[in-house]
Amino acid sequence: MASRIIRDLPFNRVEGDLEVSIEVSDGRITDAWSAGTLYRGFENMMKGRGPLDGLVMTPRICGICSTTHLTAAARALDAIAGLTPPDNAVRVRNVALMVEHMQSDVRQSVLMYMADFAHEAYRAHPLHAEALGRYAPAAGSSAIDAIRETKRLIEVIGLLGGQWPHSSFMVPGGIAFAPSLANVLQCRQIVGAFRAWYERRVLGCSIERWAAVGDGAALDAWLAERSEHRDGEVGFLLRFGRAAGLDAIGGGPGAFLSYGAFDLPRETAVAAAGGRLLAAGFASGTTIRPFDAGLVAEDVSHAWYRDHGALHPADGETAPYASGQAGRAYSWIKAPRYDGQVIETGPLAEAVVDGRPLFVDLVGAGRSSALVRQLARLTRPALLLPAVDAWLGELLSTHGAPIVAGEGHVPDGEGAGLVEAARGALGHWVRIADGRIAGYQIITPTAWNGSPRDAQGRRGAWEEAMIGIAVADPENPVEAGHVIRSFDPCLVCAVHAVRRRS
Amino acid sequence: MALNLYWMQAGGCGGDTMSFLGTESPDVPTLLQTLDVDLLWHSSLSNLSPARHGELLEELTAGTRPLDILVVEGAVLQGPAGTGMFDARAGRPRKDLVAALARRAGHVIALGTCASFGGFGAGSETEATGLQFTRTHKGGLLGADFLARAGTPVFNLAGCPCHHDVLGNVLLALAAGVPIALDEFQRPLDWYGTMVHQGCTRNEYHEYRVEEEAFGEKGCLFFHMGCQGPLTGGPCNKHLWNQRSSKTRVGVPCFGCTNPDFPAAAPFFATGNIEGIPTALPKGVSRAHYMAYKVMAAAAAPDRLKQRITEV
Repeated sequence: MASRIIRDLPFNRVEGDLEVSIEVSDGRITDAWSAGTLYRGFENMMKGRGPLDGLVMTPRICGICSTTHLTAAARALDAIAGLTPPDNAVRVRNVALMVEHMQSDVRQSVLMYMADFAHEAYRAHPLHAEALGRYAPAAGSSAIDAIRETKRLIEVIGLLGGQWPHSSFMVPGGIAFAPSLANVLQCRQIVGAFRAWYERRVLGCSIERWAAVGDGAALDAWLAERSEHRDGEVGFLLRFGRAAGLDAIGGGPGAFLSYGAFDLPRETAVAAAGGRLLAAGFASGTTIRPFDAGLVAEDVSHAWYRDHGALHPADGETAPYASGQAGRAYSWIKAPRYDGQVIETGPLAEAVVDGRPLFVDLVGAGRSSALVRQLARLTRPALLLPAVDAWLGELLSTHGAPIVAGEGHVPDGEGAGLVEAARGALGHWVRIADGRIAGYQIITPTAWNGSPRDAQGRRGAWEEAMIGIAVADPENPVEAGHVIRSFDPCLVCAVHAVRRRS
Repeated sequence: MALNLYWMQAGGCGGDTMSFLGTESPDVPTLLQTLDVDLLWHSSLSNLSPARHGELLEELTAGTRPLDILVVEGAVLQGPAGTGMFDARAGRPRKDLVAALARRAGHVIALGTCASFGGFGAGSETEATGLQFTRTHKGGLLGADFLARAGTPVFNLAGCPCHHDVLGNVLLALAAGVPIALDEFQRPLDWYGTMVHQGCTRNEYHEYRVEEEAFGEKGCLFFHMGCQGPLTGGPCNKHLWNQRSSKTRVGVPCFGCTNPDFPAAAPFFATGNIEGIPTALPKGVSRAHYMAYKVMAAAAAPDRLKQRITEV
């Protein structure tokens, strides 16, 4: 006999607050509504403030990716002022941002994603005892390791940016301080120690060996090759995840967006096409097209905002309207769409758009899943670490070169700062008029991934990814949790701001 | 004896958790272990099922399970129109849950400036408030007379974010039963009784009034770049950040983030001044004497500072 129940469930370990309603019929999820339940108010709070204030205000939107918001804010001001940061400013900005991504990738994977593996719902899983020893909150061996190693890694941002989180060391045209040779040497030592740990405990092999894993078959061969590969965090993720069926759920919308990231300095040994380490683009399946910023628009038909139809963020507004939309609205998150389409963004999207063979092969073979998405995140540091090494080395050999262009003045004008955050595409659209901020719109990765429905009724990316999942216990649907957390939600980022009362 | 702790994230960014994870000597796992802290719940770390978490909250708010320490991170949102629904949990305003837990807790800790004073959303349509202050005004969510079960007011561990070592040290004091002396805004004097300016490696430049006027120069950030270090209590240059440095050391002005009126309305990266003398002077100085002192100090400045030879 058919059973149909609807459950409202809070999800934690998602950087903020998320409530998801799921409809379960005959043991499978048949519909889902994802709601951001917190409205913090930053965008309109920016209006009327000084032109540089985005550098101080916006990092405070998010505790885990404050350097990323700082980067987006600084890039928007670079664009408005028409400034190109000198090479050493580019290197310092890149290194700090990559360090922030790596701490986030490790913390999210170990403390937030794999913590579910230690959940009592898996007590019958053959790897449960090992999972408990590794991932019990703040007590498992891997959890303790992750806290200690990421804390040390973050010291790099302490050295280059003064503190983490919430510094403002990126300024229009560059950075505020030239690190000393001693500072750079210390950074190299910290990154070297992190790399050694990452290779030993996370990958279970060298970065070079991991980089040779070029398709799904090679991934299976790599896992079978050595016990070290199986015992690392990546190996455990694959073994537990496959046994739990995470490779068969949470495929996502099949469309990917990346803004691209990490501008190459004009002179550098780091090679990449298009002047950036990570390419920008839109991929439908694995067919990649150039990114066009004009195709971004936000729909608020199902969010608690005044609705003027879908707007490009340069023309966007944030007018909370809790009683509007005749009962359709269910979230404080807006619904951004690219060329009208629902997309996913994040490390998997970066990998597909960047044409990286392993993920192109898996996605191309229709094997995108919650597990593949998490694999892309946990292995992203393997892509970033060699470039961090190279740019720190170049900071030694170019010491004394300029770190900032221009005078720090930002004229009236409009500009956008688009970057890849740890969780995917982040954009700041800024307008300065009469020496003050006149408009500030932000689209976060979680707005892309965790959006509500749009005017056409299409579900957001992770709403859609949950459809069809078999759940053993509707009161505690850990399966849905794996899918949602594979997008690395950041709800504190996805929320918007209201106007200060005069 | 074990202490239990419930960590509530409200209207904030999670940055105080991220900061806390950076604490050293001891690090977070060692701290929790050596103090025998039973972390009942932390939004970013716990893996209780929704049902088990719901039961826990019922026991704590009903008082059938004692709560030793409540940590609140993020502002309490009271908007729109006093309903609190800008921050809802299971269809109900989170502010009511925070108040219910606070009434049962042995000690209440406001972690960060948002939980202490309201922070960014205070005075906005989100109607953000701190637990026992709204900006400089005492009251907040819990009221001016609120005392936790152990007889202590809310401990305001201010900062945006709170320096990573402060919470651990407050927990050490609570576990040891040592009294915690507080300033007028209920911030522990051990941590907020020192100016951020103190220990800044640009202090010589400040002393002789050699000023930074453009990003990347060596010089003091107080006179042109909007540095609030001499007006702000905090451990940033005494204990450093991430064991390594501080914002002012790398040319980023102090924005006064431990102050109850943070963020100020005036633009950042700029010092309000009258004929070159800042309108807001270091805390407690006599304006006339300060101006005379700075004129004389600038005249006495050594060449190694005027030529920006001395490192910062």
